[in-house]
Amino acid sequence: MAGIWSNPEFVRQRRAELRPGRAMTAAAVVVLMCILLGLACWSSQQNQLLNLQRAAAQYGTQAWTQRLDVLQQNFARNTWLLFFRWLVGLQGVALTFWALFSCAQSVSGERDRKTWDFQRTTRLTAAEILTGKLLGEPVLVYFAVLCAAPATVISGLAAGLSIGTVFSILIFLAVVSLFLGLGGMWLSTLLESRSRGVGLIAALALYGFTLGLFGMHASGLPGLAAMSPLTGFVDLLGHSPNSSLARSSAVLFGHNVPWLLMNILLCGSFGAWLWLMLVRNLKRDYPEIRPLSRWQAVGWAAFLNFLIYALLKPGTEAHEGWFFDAKIVALFVVAMNGLFLFLMGLATLTPQERLKVWRRTTGKSTLFADDGLPWPWLSISAVVAYALMVWGLTAWNHTLPLESSTLQGAAIRLLIVLVFVTRDVLFLQWCMLTRLRQPVVKGVLFLALYYAAAAVVTGLVAVSSEHAARFTLALLTPVQVFDPEIKGIAFPGFTYAGLLLQIGVIGVVLMAINSRLVRPMRSRAAA
Amino acid sequence: MIELIHLRKEYDALLAVDDVCLTVPQGEIFGLIGPNGAGKTTTIRMAAGLLAPTMGRAMVAGVDVAQEPERAQQYIGYLADFFALYEDLKVWEYLDYFAHAYKLPESEISSRINEVITHVNLEIKRDEMIRGLSRGMKQRLGIARAIIHRPKVMLLDEPASGLDPKARLELRNLLRSLRDQGATILISSHILTELEGFCTSIGIMERGRLVRSGSIEQVTAAATTARLVRLTWAGDSAAIVQQKLKNDSRISEVNLATGNGAFRFSGTEEDLAAVLAGLVAGNVRVTSFGEVKQTVEEVYMRLSTHEVM
Repeated sequence: MAGIWSNPEFVRQRRAELRPGRAMTAAAVVVLMCILLGLACWSSQQNQLLNLQRAAAQYGTQAWTQRLDVLQQNFARNTWLLFFRWLVGLQGVALTFWALFSCAQSVSGERDRKTWDFQRTTRLTAAEILTGKLLGEPVLVYFAVLCAAPATVISGLAAGLSIGTVFSILIFLAVVSLFLGLGGMWLSTLLESRSRGVGLIAALALYGFTLGLFGMHASGLPGLAAMSPLTGFVDLLGHSPNSSLARSSAVLFGHNVPWLLMNILLCGSFGAWLWLMLVRNLKRDYPEIRPLSRWQAVGWAAFLNFLIYALLKPGTEAHEGWFFDAKIVALFVVAMNGLFLFLMGLATLTPQERLKVWRRTTGKSTLFADDGLPWPWLSISAVVAYALMVWGLTAWNHTLPLESSTLQGAAIRLLIVLVFVTRDVLFLQWCMLTRLRQPVVKGVLFLALYYAAAAVVTGLVAVSSEHAARFTLALLTPVQVFDPEIKGIAFPGFTYAGLLLQIGVIGVVLMAINSRLVRPMRSRAAA
Repeated sequence: MIELIHLRKEYDALLAVDDVCLTVPQGEIFGLIGPNGAGKTTTIRMAAGLLAPTMGRAMVAGVDVAQEPERAQQYIGYLADFFALYEDLKVWEYLDYFAHAYKLPESEISSRINEVITHVNLEIKRDEMIRGLSRGMKQRLGIARAIIHRPKVMLLDEPASGLDPKARLELRNLLRSLRDQGATILISSHILTELEGFCTSIGIMERGRLVRSGSIEQVTAAATTARLVRLTWAGDSAAIVQQKLKNDSRISEVNLATGNGAFRFSGTEEDLAAVLAGLVAGNVRVTSFGEVKQTVEEVYMRLSTHEVM
């Protein structure tokens, strides 16, 4: 703790943000807001009481009198509870929003101001800079929350909540804001100074995404909802017994666990990955940024696969829920691995400069070198994902009976997905070797165009023959593998034809990459 | 103290720095000169550990900058051409931040800050906010930041760009005092007069290559294929001078006027002394005779126009 307090980056932020004048103003604003909020809550309760008194006097029935008695008895407690909820809610919004947005501008802002290089040439390690920025960038909002803390704790205790509940809420707020701060820092690292606007939009999207994860509580992976700040608030601040959240619970390895615990586990583990990516890249020059090493990327893909089996909530025999048999789980895992492998490919694209050096030293370096092409590592990840699928489905065999044909079929499906993803990732790698500006973004757009075109062509062919449409779809896209009617490895012939065609395309892309890598360099012309 | 070993940097299809080898011994001030886009900044950024070289290594005080970045940084003081400071800090707070960031012992920090502030003449601005400083003061504060941890090596990339003449003079004096304290300085500039009489050695970069390097005398000598000699004489001896010089195969570009003249000479010092002796023996009353030393600027211009490459 003392280390954090004396962290030079944290001290710098603290000095800049919390000059006495500004700190006193912030504290005064917080106190004023607490007072106004308290008065508003008291006024609201008072109004309710007056309305009930009027109704009791007007109608004089026992029901109204009883309601009035209950309200009068619990008046102070209810007022405090209302005050506590508003206080915590406002702090939650301010803290999460501010942490995300201030961190999302930290590194890109320093690049913009041209102060970043000086930080990079100090003896501060990436972890020290990261800690300082994570806690220092939103230091003003932390200070405001600290100012409001006495009011929060007192109102919570006065409202009859246990000290454990009050502190659970504060811990939840801290965990979510740190996680969002890490997410913001990562966005900020990925963006050059000129794309700060894009960074803010991305930060907004990240905030919306985490909020939207609340909806996952009713899914086959309900635990994911714990990453949403909304879940924590709704659960910790109390909700109606009939609410949808009350009817679901976070599931870990088939056991119900508290939302707070799940929140700490998920934010902690995803935060650890973000931390790793940041520490690896924070002091690197912008073009040198590569989120993960090849082995780390394999670990990342394995972690995401593992999470599916850990958070899975089996459906019932009445086909309620997402996962009512092992085959559906296998299909879901294959589909998700398409996404995971693509993300992994994006994270491990080799910068042009490194790839050229690797190509020049091909005799000495291996196919699996960190600076080589990403495809061997995609294959390793797919193998790891399949091994985890075998383990996961076997482990869930007691609830979701597993047939051997499911695993055989999943192997072929995963292979097809792997081939398509490899083709797409190698295409992006080729884009990086061209002179396109923002080659990865443009490459992804080209891929989106390709799949849209494939859909249009399939639609046109479908007008004449459904069989021909299926054939076209299998040749151009991996959609065919998600047909649940196909048992085991009994895929139609054109699925395998599509597989062979895409392997051929991969060969062509590899040749195109190679021809780019052997092009001679040109010297810079004298200015 | 600074050793660049076969440094190479590629950007896309562009070769920004090509096989640069350079050794700067301790206490030297090495000036890196060249046009914009020659690769000076890229070379300095690689030496500072800000850019990873495509190939080769940069060593500072015997430490590989890419392999042990945090250790190497304790020996490096870096200043970029265009930089900014944390405007929301006070002068002493800024230096305190970097003193801690360079991990100076806590007990030394306060006295070191005062020492450095005095060194750059910012005593009266110690408690001022940085946003209120002039451009020259900010530049001096930037230098104070770069020397706060007593680096053995200073890497300065166009440190005088954007400064007015007075601030430029102050910077020059400051760097001289650093040199006197034993610092090794690698400084890049395209303002050649700025480096003259200040650097102990220079390197000329063009299209990513270090085309010449060494002490100023060495580079000048290497760049000079024929020395320019100027002479004056008393009386009307132009015809004799013309005759004497014409007969010597090592002499070219003879240009004579009344009482003075110049020619290019490609022989040794001894040979030049013999030419003078010949003139005197021919009854020419020589009043002055000597080689015209070339400035760094002249050498650079000749090299950059490929006269002597």
